[in-house]
Amino acid sequence: MATTTGTTIGQSTPPRPGRVEPAQAALGALLALEIVIFGAIGTNFLTVTNGFEVLRLSVEIGLLAVALTPVIVGGGIDLSVGSLMGLAAVVFGSLWRDAELPIPMAAALAIGLGALAGLLNGLVITRLRIPPLIVTLGTFSLFRGLAEGMTGGVDNFTDFPSGFLFLGQGYLGGVVPAQVPIFAAVSLGFWVLLHRSTVGRGLVAVGYSPEGARHAGLRVDRLVTLAYVLSGTASGLAAVIYVAHLGQAKADAGLGYELLAITAVVLGGTSIFGGRGSVVGTLLGLFTIAVLQNGMRLADLPAELSGVLTGALLLLAIGLDRRTGRASPTTSRGHAHVDSDEEWTVKNSQVAVICAVILAAGAIVAASNVYVVRSLTDRLVGAGGPTAPSSATADASAPGRRPITVAMMPKSKGNAYFIACRKGAEEAAEELGVNLIWDGPTDPDPARQNQIIDTWITRGVDVIAVAVENRDGIASVLKKAMDRGITVITWDADAATDARTFFVNQATPEGIGRTLMDTAAEIMGGDGKFAIITASLTAANMISWQEQIELRRAEKYPEIEMAVLRPCDDLQQKAYDEAINIMNAYPDVELIMAICTPAVPGAAEAVKQSGRDDVKVIGLGLPNDNKRYVHEGITKAVILWNSMDLGYLTVHAAKALEDGTLKPGDDRFEAGRLGSVDIRGDNILLGEPFTFTEANIDQFDF
Amino acid sequence: MIVETLLRLTGIGKAFSGVQALQGVSFDLRAGEVHALVGENGAGKSTLIKVITGAHQPDEGTMEVLGLPVEENDPVRSRALGIAAIYQQPALFPDLTVAENIALGLEPGGPLHLVRWHDRRRRAKALLDRIGATIDPEVEVRRLTMPEQQLVEIARALGADARILIMDEPTASLGDQEVEHLFAVVRELKAQGVGIIYISHRLEELPQVADRVTALRDGRLVGTRAMAEVDRAELIRMMVGRELSAVFPKVEVEPGAVVLEVQGLGCRASGVRDVSFFVRSGEILGLAGLVGAGRTETARVLFGLTPADSGTIRLDGQPVRIESPDDAVALGIAYVPEDRRRHGIIPPMSVASNATLATLGAISTFGLLDFRKERTLAATMVDRLGVKTPSIDSPAGVLSGGNQQKVALARWLASGPRVLILDEPTQGIDVGAKAEIHRLMGELAKQGMAIVMISSELPEILGMSDRIAVMYGGTIVGTVDRSAASQEEILHLALGHEAREAAGR
Amino acid sequence: MRLGRYRRELSVLVAFAALMAVLAVVAPRFFRAGQLMAVAVRNAPVVVAAVGMTMVIVCRHIDISIGSQFAVCGVAAGLMAKAGLPIPMVAAGTLAVGAALGAANGWLVAVVGLPSIVVTLATMVIWREALRYGRQGAFVSDLPEGFQWFGAGQSAGQWLILASAMLLFGAFSWGLRNLSAGRAIYATGSDPEAARLAGVRPARVVFGVFVAMGMLTGMAALLSAVRFVDVDPNAGTGLELQVIAAVVVGGVAISGGRGSPVGSLIGVALLGSIGPALVFLGTEPQWEKAVQGLIILLAVATDALDRGDR
Repeated sequence: MATTTGTTIGQSTPPRPGRVEPAQAALGALLALEIVIFGAIGTNFLTVTNGFEVLRLSVEIGLLAVALTPVIVGGGIDLSVGSLMGLAAVVFGSLWRDAELPIPMAAALAIGLGALAGLLNGLVITRLRIPPLIVTLGTFSLFRGLAEGMTGGVDNFTDFPSGFLFLGQGYLGGVVPAQVPIFAAVSLGFWVLLHRSTVGRGLVAVGYSPEGARHAGLRVDRLVTLAYVLSGTASGLAAVIYVAHLGQAKADAGLGYELLAITAVVLGGTSIFGGRGSVVGTLLGLFTIAVLQNGMRLADLPAELSGVLTGALLLLAIGLDRRTGRASPTTSRGHAHVDSDEEWTVKNSQVAVICAVILAAGAIVAASNVYVVRSLTDRLVGAGGPTAPSSATADASAPGRRPITVAMMPKSKGNAYFIACRKGAEEAAEELGVNLIWDGPTDPDPARQNQIIDTWITRGVDVIAVAVENRDGIASVLKKAMDRGITVITWDADAATDARTFFVNQATPEGIGRTLMDTAAEIMGGDGKFAIITASLTAANMISWQEQIELRRAEKYPEIEMAVLRPCDDLQQKAYDEAINIMNAYPDVELIMAICTPAVPGAAEAVKQSGRDDVKVIGLGLPNDNKRYVHEGITKAVILWNSMDLGYLTVHAAKALEDGTLKPGDDRFEAGRLGSVDIRGDNILLGEPFTFTEANIDQFDF
Repeated sequence: MIVETLLRLTGIGKAFSGVQALQGVSFDLRAGEVHALVGENGAGKSTLIKVITGAHQPDEGTMEVLGLPVEENDPVRSRALGIAAIYQQPALFPDLTVAENIALGLEPGGPLHLVRWHDRRRRAKALLDRIGATIDPEVEVRRLTMPEQQLVEIARALGADARILIMDEPTASLGDQEVEHLFAVVRELKAQGVGIIYISHRLEELPQVADRVTALRDGRLVGTRAMAEVDRAELIRMMVGRELSAVFPKVEVEPGAVVLEVQGLGCRASGVRDVSFFVRSGEILGLAGLVGAGRTETARVLFGLTPADSGTIRLDGQPVRIESPDDAVALGIAYVPEDRRRHGIIPPMSVASNATLATLGAISTFGLLDFRKERTLAATMVDRLGVKTPSIDSPAGVLSGGNQQKVALARWLASGPRVLILDEPTQGIDVGAKAEIHRLMGELAKQGMAIVMISSELPEILGMSDRIAVMYGGTIVGTVDRSAASQEEILHLALGHEAREAAGR
Repeated sequence: MRLGRYRRELSVLVAFAALMAVLAVVAPRFFRAGQLMAVAVRNAPVVVAAVGMTMVIVCRHIDISIGSQFAVCGVAAGLMAKAGLPIPMVAAGTLAVGAALGAANGWLVAVVGLPSIVVTLATMVIWREALRYGRQGAFVSDLPEGFQWFGAGQSAGQWLILASAMLLFGAFSWGLRNLSAGRAIYATGSDPEAARLAGVRPARVVFGVFVAMGMLTGMAALLSAVRFVDVDPNAGTGLELQVIAAVVVGGVAISGGRGSPVGSLIGVALLGSIGPALVFLGTEPQWEKAVQGLIILLAVATDALDRGDR
């Protein structure tokens, strides 16, 4: 009957908002476990530089995630942050380059634009009372669309001054990546905001119960809008750092980052329904994912597994959370049903937690087994082992002592073209006794390429061979690799010349553009209209091929007109759809030129299905994909170098460079079954592009 | 006459995470009787109901329906046994039509059963007619008012043709006329041999309908008595285990200057029109009227939840604009809403956070929270109001209804308002807490606060108010002094009749 | 009153009609049979998935894993066909794979009680990455002749795809309106606790809906896969947002309980024809996403203004 306040105040250490909750402690333990495991099985994982590298790579997504935390705590969600990064990046680029504003001014305006876009989200959500998921789904499309529309999709802002690039690529005091202090400051700011300020307290109240908060006289709309404005501002800042990090500003910046950021926030124990959550949790979630990705690479485990594990961890975290935390009632009315629900779910969630633990543990165990087998063989084959930090330099003095490790990166792993390249590379690796690492982004993603190269540097591989997605953004990380004594070459697509020793050149853009246009003109008979299907409006190599095609057309075939250019996102089905649209919208198009691998069979299938025998297809593609259309007479010509040979040649060049049998200045070298290969300047030449036609296509199988 | 026992519970026990909600409770229900169930909040009434409807599984004890034991009960099974329930807060589907709401659960058949829309409409119409409700069966439930929803809920339970009907506070949001209608239906059902379990905090209702009464206290059975044998005082004694000396501890205060004056206030969206009244310092103004008369709506306009579109509001003689709750708070107007769990408090947040939510400015410097100040303030308020809570860090949602209401009040007392609007401050809370809240109101009035109290309980209105404004059809139809007021006078006004005489003002 | 309930569907229909009218004037070629057929066949799988998503959102959940489910089901269909199974077996197998994937989501959401957005975010990543690991991006090619167009030839195959999609759409629309199972979905979405008290078992309903979503995704993947000679393991990226956008534009309330497959169909039609329409109108294609975003915002904004009226 008596009130208990007197005793309770001094009763125990008062729990505070932002305190370490059991779910966070569990996540922290998991992170520690990851570090222990990867410390044991990963190469050079437990080093200060690697730690900072993980931090650097987490900064952009981290900024989004930290800023998303108050949004989600306030009961909202923001799907538009990734798209907004794209928009802010291109606006920043164009303000600097086209409007010739000084960098700080352009950056400030880009961040301001982020705030404005966040304000738009916030106002639409609060004024029109539309669910945030829907509003930001709309602006997710809108912002990316504006970025693509503004730049025509193709404009790529580069050549930023080095002082600015330092922000994304440089090191303070030689060790701390320049953007890390910014991230730390922003995180601290959001921590204070969410856990130590009246705004944060208000957002928690709004997240649990918007009506309850309104009845307490809180300015709910203003609080919610503020959360979105801050999230937009952080996206703007993330865009600027992203540009400095990659040295380029394109419309595809931040593609898909929203889901990664949300994953980090939710993994960190923030309730997706609002009310409960913490910035510390978000950071733990972020690092759990980042360390997992980094560790998997350093332990030479398949990168896809880190995705699978991230998903499993997410289920595990949310299941644990369900057990320990009290999820707020999500029904709109305050039914007294809390008891019954708890009774029912707790038991099941325990089951789920156990299952998830088993799943995660099983995966880790399986993965480490793979590693043990592999590392044992490594040790048996070579002395010293790959873990020796000085392996790269030590190796140069003692060539041939152990198998060299060549790390080779395609633009994207899934692409059939690169799969063919890989076959050739593996053939050469076996022939030469080279330890080949083949890894790359699953989708063409410049940021991911940089990230993988960074982990390779940490691992200490001997040679890095890259098919470069982003010429300007990759230079600094390649130079860093060269500084650490790693031999760097490029293949398929080149980087800046001072960032590598050789470029294994399959064919120049001029060669491709010329061959394609000449073939087209020959089929079309010197006049008429044609259409181009490209992979994306932003891919650098696509853009350079388009330019070369246009140059050739203007120069030699003024009678021929390019009717339309459509992107197919490197998807065969989309290429099919686009080809159908093109044929119907532009009935006088005689020829479709498909300049990415999946587009050739896609376009050919569309032509076949539409029954339009007056339309022909040519393109850059693999013989196997296209044989049937070539035989049916739909596809007239497929142009490509022998991509298996390209992979084969690259590994040979890597090995020769590492052995010292190939040096800058040489004009030819012996490359196994390819015989003697020409070198022009610093370009190792595979030869002219090859045209597959009905007459010869059956002789090839790749 | 053979007295048939429809339902028999023996030795029911139920615990939630270690807390014993029910212990050794036995209960029986006969055909053709109304068996009232009373007890303070948290006494275990709702849990007992949920055991009967199968929403909860008891830890121990047995349940028999018509002499047959029931094991593994669940909502589907209990329905099949002829048990239907009307819940305190309507458990309806806001997005579905009235007809479908009534039909759901009444129709037989598996998942592939075909829906007959025409039959659904006809049945809904018939059931609504039976309880005298004129509601279009085709309208979506979210467009209905709270009392209308309650009527739909009642119609639905009637449609189940249940042998055992549970009514949990069915009259909580109903006006007197609707209550009369409901009682008529209850008597009709009784005559048909239906057994009814009737839960209500309005003890004065019970003699009108109930045959027997069972009281629970702290999850245990206190006793079952014939209704005719017990009077109100006895009932209260059974519920609280003590006699209440004075039900309404009205403190006489000499009213001071006019604090809040409202003239011609209107808000089209919420149906409030031409409302004029004033309230003085130290005065309690009762706002009476039937449900739907516009009392809560008026309070919401004053608090800025649905801003006024006409009329003037004066505070201390100065005209003010109130566009949102934060305007109201800044002006010193506080509102303790009717729906505690949704509006009054934020259940998952701690008692301390809830108690200080309206005064964040007082516990912070430059927008940064000072946790020491917060705890001191919260502890002071908890002490002052006598909130029974394990700790000020406990989630407010785990407290009993009365203590939740105290927390909701604490929030505003911490902000020191000039005007305090209380909307059904004691609805659905137990007798002990009710008295404490009444005592507190008197204390606040004594300190010079101007209080506006909305209540559907006429005794409370008459017992606590200095003056009583009666609303009808969205406006105030008369104001009477406490001395001159009678139940009949107020009811007369509330039913929309002309004031017999301008009794005071 | 009755019409008022379908106001949203009608307004989207008007928007769609307006787009068609503009096209009729500016680019009558859009209405040639071949083009219409192409647009229809291409969107048929989207409609099938949208029917499932309508149910998921109506019962107050969301499934963002359908893009990954779509890819897994497509590859499964391809592999089964390649293994020499007859087409009906392939179809049944694909549906079974879809149902299994859906059941995993459903189990975690309905039985364990985890929030669907998080569960499907996790399964989206898990299935997509596992498939990438398994196939390394390689197409399933060299499919038997009987796979493309169900072995029925192109024009019959196209009609078969359309007919299957329409049949599913019709059956589910009717069932959602007129079967007690369908009404249980609305009841669950409108208020799960009230549904429980009314004798509906929300967990079963939610589980069932996720399984149905998986099966419909499997069907969509099959209808999409048979249009081509080989199966792309990267298919379906972004499908989830495309479908959710269409369903929302079509008036299904994200808060559950409201909306209909008819609305979703119109939503798919509107968003699905913007891309081709822009090509026909000669607009720069890179504005497509911006236009889509605007349409989503406009559609929901009119909703909000609508509410303001009352």
